[in-house]
Amino acid sequence: MTNEKIIEAKGVIKTYDDSGVPVHAVRGIDYTLMRGEFTAIIGPSGSGKTTFLNVITGLDTPTEGEVWLSGRLLSKMSGNELSDFRRDHIGFVFQAYNLFPVLTVEENVEYIMLLQGVPKEERHSRVMSILEKVGLDDYAQRLPSRLSGGQQQRVAVARAMVSEPSLVIADEPTANLDSKTSGSLLDLMRQLNEDTGMTFLFSTHDEIVMKRAKKLVVLTDGKLDENNPPEEYE
Amino acid sequence: MLPKLAWRNIFRQKRRTVLTLMTMTGGFVLSSLSIGWMNGSYSSIILFFTNNRTGQIQVHHEGYLADQSIYSTIDNFEQVGSILDSLPDVRTWAPRIYTGALLALRPAGQSSNVFSSSAAASVIGIDPTREQEATGFSAQILEGEMLTVSDADTSLSSTGQILLGKELAITLEASVGDSLILLSQTANGAVADKRYVVVGTVSTGNTQIDRRTSYITLLDAQNLFALEGEAHEIAVLSRNLDEVDDLTATISGRLSGRNLETDSWKVFAKEFYNGMKADESSLEVMIFIIVLVAAMGVLNTVLMMVLERRREFGVMKAMGTRPGFIVRMIMLEANIMGFISILLGSIISTAGLLFLSKHGIVLDPPLDYGGAVFREMIASISPDCYWIPAICVMLTATIVSWIPALNAAHTEPAKALRTV
Repeated sequence: MTNEKIIEAKGVIKTYDDSGVPVHAVRGIDYTLMRGEFTAIIGPSGSGKTTFLNVITGLDTPTEGEVWLSGRLLSKMSGNELSDFRRDHIGFVFQAYNLFPVLTVEENVEYIMLLQGVPKEERHSRVMSILEKVGLDDYAQRLPSRLSGGQQQRVAVARAMVSEPSLVIADEPTANLDSKTSGSLLDLMRQLNEDTGMTFLFSTHDEIVMKRAKKLVVLTDGKLDENNPPEEYE
Repeated sequence: MLPKLAWRNIFRQKRRTVLTLMTMTGGFVLSSLSIGWMNGSYSSIILFFTNNRTGQIQVHHEGYLADQSIYSTIDNFEQVGSILDSLPDVRTWAPRIYTGALLALRPAGQSSNVFSSSAAASVIGIDPTREQEATGFSAQILEGEMLTVSDADTSLSSTGQILLGKELAITLEASVGDSLILLSQTANGAVADKRYVVVGTVSTGNTQIDRRTSYITLLDAQNLFALEGEAHEIAVLSRNLDEVDDLTATISGRLSGRNLETDSWKVFAKEFYNGMKADESSLEVMIFIIVLVAAMGVLNTVLMMVLERRREFGVMKAMGTRPGFIVRMIMLEANIMGFISILLGSIISTAGLLFLSKHGIVLDPPLDYGGAVFREMIASISPDCYWIPAICVMLTATIVSWIPALNAAHTEPAKALRTV
C-alpha cells in the first residue's frame, strides 16, 4: 500500500426523490481510499453501500460534496472524460455478473481493451492469461448462458482486471455464489491485490468477504459508523 | 466489435426481429410494387396518348402553340423531315395541317344546293402513309376505310375523301358514302370549298375530339387552303420514351435558325402532363403512408429493444463505453435490419413486378383517362422501383432509431443497474 489517494470523498451527500419523498441514501461521508487497499464496505441492506460506490466512481452524481478520483475532481469532468477515466482506471464487478449475453467469454473479457484500442494480438494474449488465472481458459468460446453462476462471476472478475486498472470496485460480488465459490473468488482477488498492488473496494455483508478484507469500513444509515471506525487487518 | 455486437443483438429476440423484418420488407415491397405499377400505368397512358395522337415531340412555326394561326406554317416541311430522318432516335414523323371549316351534308339523291345538316369542325390534313406509320391511324377507323393518297383527289374540281369523327358523323347524320361540302378560307384569303365523300368514321377514344374533328389528306389540305409544301405541325415519334427530353433538345439544335420551335409532350400537352404530375403526387402520398406504417413498426421494435437492454447499456457505460458508441450500435442494428429487408424486399418485389409486367390487372370497369380508355394496366420494372423504397427503408431505420439510440446513450448507469 502506498500513500497515493485513489479516491477522496468530501462531505458526500446523495438524496433521491422517490415519488416526491426524499430518500437520504448517503448523509455526508468523508472517505479516502489509498492505492493498494483491499477494503470492504460493510453494512446492512439499505445502508447506502451501493449508492456510495456509485457516487465515488462517477456512476451517479452526489447531491452535495466533492469526489476526487486519482487527483481529479469528478464534477469537473465531461461525460466522455468520465467514460474514458472509468475505462482506463476502474474495473467493475457487479452482483449480477452483467456479462454481455451475445458475446463469448473471450469477447466479454476483451471488450474494454477493444474500447482502449489495444492491438488484437495483445488482447488475445492478455485475455487468455487472465482466463487461465481464473481457471476458465477452456471456456473462452462459450457464451455466458452456458456457464454456472460462479464461472460467470469469475469471467466478470477477469473482465474487470484484464486491463489492469488501478481500482477494482466490486458490489456484492459474492451475493449469488455459494460459500466455496465465493471463497475461491476472493482468494483469487486477494492474490491479485498482493501480486500487482491493484486496489480493491468491495461492498458486502458477506462474512467470507469480510474475513479476507484487509480493511473494513462500516456504513450505517448512509453514514460511516463512528462507533465502528475503519479497521485494518494484515 | 461494433458490427459484431449489432449483428448478434439483432438475433437475440428472433421472433421480434422476424416481425420487424417482415414489417420493413412489407413496406419495401408495397412501395416497390406501387412505383412499378404507377410507372407502368403512366408509361401506358403517355405512350397511348402520344403514340396514338400527338407524338412525343412536335415541331411548329415559332409562336404557333400560343396562336394557332393558319399562316404560322413550317415552310418546306420535307426538308425538316429529312433532318429528322437523319437522327437515329427518331422512329418516324408525320406532318399535319390544322384549320377549321363548315361541313354541310348533302344527302344522296338531293339537288346540289340542298343540305340536310351542317356543323363547324376542325379539319386535319394528314399524310395517310406517314400517319399510319406514326400513330397507327387506321386502327381508329370505326367504319369505312383509311384515306388513300391520290393526286386526282387533290384537284379542287374532283371529289375528295374525308373521315369524320364518330360523334361529328352523328351530329351531321352522315354515313359512309355520303357527300358533304367543306367551306372555309384559304391562307391567301380566298374562299375554300370542295365536295368530299365520307370514306369512314374515326373513334380516337376521346369523344371531345371525335365530336369536332374531320380528316382529309395532307395534299388535299395543302391545295384547298393554299399551303403548298407547308404544314402546321410535324409530330415526331421517339424510339425511347425516356430519351424524349434529350431528343427534343437535339432536334431543337438541328433546326435552329429556321424560326421553328420544338417541344416535348410535356409542353404542348401541358394539361395532360400536369394531370400526370398530380397523379404522381398521390403516389408520393401513398408511399409516405406505407413508410409511416412501417416506421411505426420499426420504432416499436427499437424502443422495446432499448427498454429491455437498459441494464446492459448501464453496464456498458459503467465500463467506460462512450455514449457515441451506443448510439452507433443501435443505429447500426436498425440499419442492418433495413439492409436485410431491402435484400428480401428486392427479391419479392422483382417476382411481383415480373408477374405484373407480364400479366397486368384487368380494369373492370375500364379506366377513362382524358378520354383514353384503358382496360388493362401492367407494371414496369425500373431502378425507381428499388432505389426509392431502399432509401425510404434506410432513412426510416436511421431516423426512427435516432431517438431511442440517444435515449440509450444517455442511460444513467446507476439507475440502469438498479433495474431488474
